[in-house]
Amino acid sequence: MNFSIDTYNMESGVPVIKLTGEVDVYTAPQLKQQMIGMLEAGANQILIDLTEVEYFDSTALGVLIGGLKRMRERDGNLSLICPNPRIRRVFEITGLDKIFDIYNSADEAKIAIQLVP
Amino acid sequence: MDAQSEPAVVELRIPCRPEYVGVARLALLGVASRMKFSYDQVEDVRLAVGEACTTSVEWATKNNRADTDIVVRSSIADTKLTVDIIDSSGERREAPADQENDNEPESLGALLITLLVDEVTVTPINGGTHVKMVKYAG
Repeated sequence: MNFSIDTYNMESGVPVIKLTGEVDVYTAPQLKQQMIGMLEAGANQILIDLTEVEYFDSTALGVLIGGLKRMRERDGNLSLICPNPRIRRVFEITGLDKIFDIYNSADEAKIAIQLVP
Repeated sequence: MDAQSEPAVVELRIPCRPEYVGVARLALLGVASRMKFSYDQVEDVRLAVGEACTTSVEWATKNNRADTDIVVRSSIADTKLTVDIIDSSGERREAPADQENDNEPESLGALLITLLVDEVTVTPINGGTHVKMVKYAG
């Protein structure tokens, strides 16, 4: 299956989950596990990088919604980097683009997140 | 045979398990790509079929029917693609919200299908569900 998941920290310490390939009912559980790990480690900001994602389904959306909910419970946030219009469209047609903070690049996200206390 | 009135049929049978949903998507990508669909419309078909199969897989998991198959039948007419997704995943009973999965991917999936194709019907059949979706090209 064409899918991989990598993690790294931004200079500010914000953890980033970078996804590549197809995020669907088969692969989304790996994203969920990774997010749970970061939540348990105490993260209150998580950035998900969808730049290299070529398919994103409702299961994956559900995982992100669950993650966002848990982050907001601790006054944190889960934001997305999504420059790909095809993937962004999935958020737009479901109205989820109004729920998530979605940035076009890692640089844009970096600036925005640093502005948030 | 009259090519206009007799649609070509491509039929695929996949195991009702998460790792095979991508196979159905790939097949539909091939089918839709050879019709008069725009790039975005091909993507719509791929996503809609993926969502329908995912719903089948989720119900099969809930109903302990993961050993069943999904039949994905594409009927290709000139400007009309009909996709029948027939599962044996058991009855789709409304279950109480899963505490572990407090998101609602299934209703999101249904919403996506409605938005991505021109017509969709969901019919319970013996031991499963038949989802029929239609997408018009152009």
